[in-house]
Amino acid sequence: MKKKLRIALAGNANVGKSVIFNQLTGLHQHIGNWPGKTVTKAEGTLHFKGYEIDVIDLPGIYSLSTFSLEEIISREYIAFEKPDLVINVVDASVLERNLFFTLQLIELGTPMIIALNQIDIAQKKGIKIDYKKLSKILGVPVIPTIAIRGYGIYDLLAAAVKAIEEKTAYPSKIRYGKEIEGKIEKIAIMIREIGLPYPARWTAIKLLEGDKKIQEEVRKANPEILSFVQEMAREIEEIHGHPCSTVITSERYDVAGRIAREVQKIQPISRIPLSQRLHELTTSRVLGYPIMLCVVFSIFYGIFTFGDYTSTCIGDFLYSFEPLFDQAISNYVVKELIWNGVVEGIIAGVTIALPYIVPFYLILYVLEDSGYLSRIAFLMDVAMHKIGLHGKAFIPVMLAYGCNVPACLGCKIMETERERLLAAFVVTLIPCAATTVVVLGLVGKFVGIKWALTLYIIDLAIIFLLGRIAFKSLPGEPTELLMEMHEYRIPHLRTVLSQTWFRLEEFIKIAFPLIILSSVIIKAIELSGLFGLLSALMSPVTVEWLGLRREMGIALIFGILRKELTLIMLATILGTTNFGAVLTSLQMIIFSLITMLYIPCIATIAACVKEFGWKKAIFITVFEVLFAIFIGGIVFRILGYFGLP
Amino acid sequence: MAVPLSSLKEGESGIITSIKTNPAGRRGRSWGFIKRLVDMGLTPGTKITVVKSAPFRGPIEVSVRGSRLALGRGMARRIFVEINK
Repeated sequence: MKKKLRIALAGNANVGKSVIFNQLTGLHQHIGNWPGKTVTKAEGTLHFKGYEIDVIDLPGIYSLSTFSLEEIISREYIAFEKPDLVINVVDASVLERNLFFTLQLIELGTPMIIALNQIDIAQKKGIKIDYKKLSKILGVPVIPTIAIRGYGIYDLLAAAVKAIEEKTAYPSKIRYGKEIEGKIEKIAIMIREIGLPYPARWTAIKLLEGDKKIQEEVRKANPEILSFVQEMAREIEEIHGHPCSTVITSERYDVAGRIAREVQKIQPISRIPLSQRLHELTTSRVLGYPIMLCVVFSIFYGIFTFGDYTSTCIGDFLYSFEPLFDQAISNYVVKELIWNGVVEGIIAGVTIALPYIVPFYLILYVLEDSGYLSRIAFLMDVAMHKIGLHGKAFIPVMLAYGCNVPACLGCKIMETERERLLAAFVVTLIPCAATTVVVLGLVGKFVGIKWALTLYIIDLAIIFLLGRIAFKSLPGEPTELLMEMHEYRIPHLRTVLSQTWFRLEEFIKIAFPLIILSSVIIKAIELSGLFGLLSALMSPVTVEWLGLRREMGIALIFGILRKELTLIMLATILGTTNFGAVLTSLQMIIFSLITMLYIPCIATIAACVKEFGWKKAIFITVFEVLFAIFIGGIVFRILGYFGLP
Repeated sequence: MAVPLSSLKEGESGIITSIKTNPAGRRGRSWGFIKRLVDMGLTPGTKITVVKSAPFRGPIEVSVRGSRLALGRGMARRIFVEINK
């Protein structure tokens, strides 16, 4: 049997960690979420020198405190799962900030080696790093790499295995200032007696930093330690005049800065590098916005023309089998269930997933990886603040006007769980392209374009209002923009492709069963002749409260599958496409308004389930249905009062 | 004299002296607020340079510890710096 090893990749965001992960594992990887969390978990396996090595890509973070879920996940993984080795990926072009994280890994006492990545980008900035000296100071192997070119990857792997075999991955002790170190030791002695799963020195440091999670655990074991820690913290605060956690962090940064200065030589560069010039151009006051608008508009246009075209092609192709199918199965009910239920469901899934989600994921990763996303966030921050989000949310919100599904999936670029949920909530309220078809096809055509626009304005106002309310009421800390804008770089195509592929796979696994199932259920209801009963049951809401015609409720049910089906079914049910002849203006307006608000379509719900789990997805769905009915009824009464027919 | 970072013009730099918490915020929140900033390297005594500010009172771009950060203006108002002449 092969010997198994577990290696974790850890480091700051945007240091090329996922590229190294891809170079190591190739196609043998699995991307999912951490159990019960919205944080992506990437795992892969590789075989090397007789070992079977599991590689896990931990989220990119700057610290091991408890600000974000990612930080908690990472430190608990390292402390509890105890991987055989942590490869700390370090961005050579921003050494000081990256070493700050390295020091925290060292505190955790995990065996580790360092991949000194992006040495090419560092070189362009005129930075040269003596990696042998760095290795001597930290006491662990340091391997220089340029991950996107595959340079140093083999050496890294060989060094990793060798370090595990020879146990040379244990870093030297890095000490902070004397009087702090003395206090840490005093606390650590007490901690050793209570036997926590974390290393004693690390626990002591975290207590001084005021870490809530660790405080809880220590309180359970021996609350006296906490009052002792408080006393120590007070002494430190008195000496330095800053909060104790700030003093500790400063101490760490000072050490990181000292090491960085010792190992790196910075030469002035004669030419401003291209990435710097691009940065200045794309964030400039004059040209920043026009460039952004061009890029964003081309993305939007690109995705949706490509999507529309491919979607129609795939749809036509699949529908061309219908006659064949007709001949093969003679039983009407079976045929209806299989074709209109199962196959239609698959077609719906395929025509959404492939044409829209694939290019979207690709572009999202390219934007993120190249660094342009952070510049967009910088420019759009003020505008997005108005709905309680910050700059990064601009991309999902904008894309939602095309299709809610990829937009919802794209909410993962937000930093905290709270922001992801908030963004997803706003996104599901935005009218997608299919909804626009309904609004224009019904209200725009038969009531007037002015009314269609009014509906959009009402919808925007609602998004604005609900966004504010959700922003105020969601628990947790509202966060302002604080992000690194790393150097522009060329994205690694293979990494982008494989990330797209594995994410898509994950989505299909969740979405397809849901789409097919709901499609079959609706078909079954129709075949069993229960629609009459159902619309009668719904009539108190549809007829009394919303003033619609009774049959229109059925059309709304179909909208769960795809929003444009509300219009198609309406035509089928009413037996005409001349809606103006059979419906009042008010009915058409209310119907469109409900379609805009009432439910994320089943594929969007699936996307929410994938990102946030069943509970939150169902909550959002139920909330939006009730809310749409509520608003619909109110608008019906207001417009009725003003005498709209 | 210490002034808020948000009052610095593009190209000006200073040394961080302190970070003020939101007086209305609860204690737990202010811990997270300060921690997040210092974790990104904005510790007292650090040199910070304002590189650019986004239009419409948007975030500011700062250079600190050899890296480039985007920082919300609300945060910048609570970071106090001593301007070095």
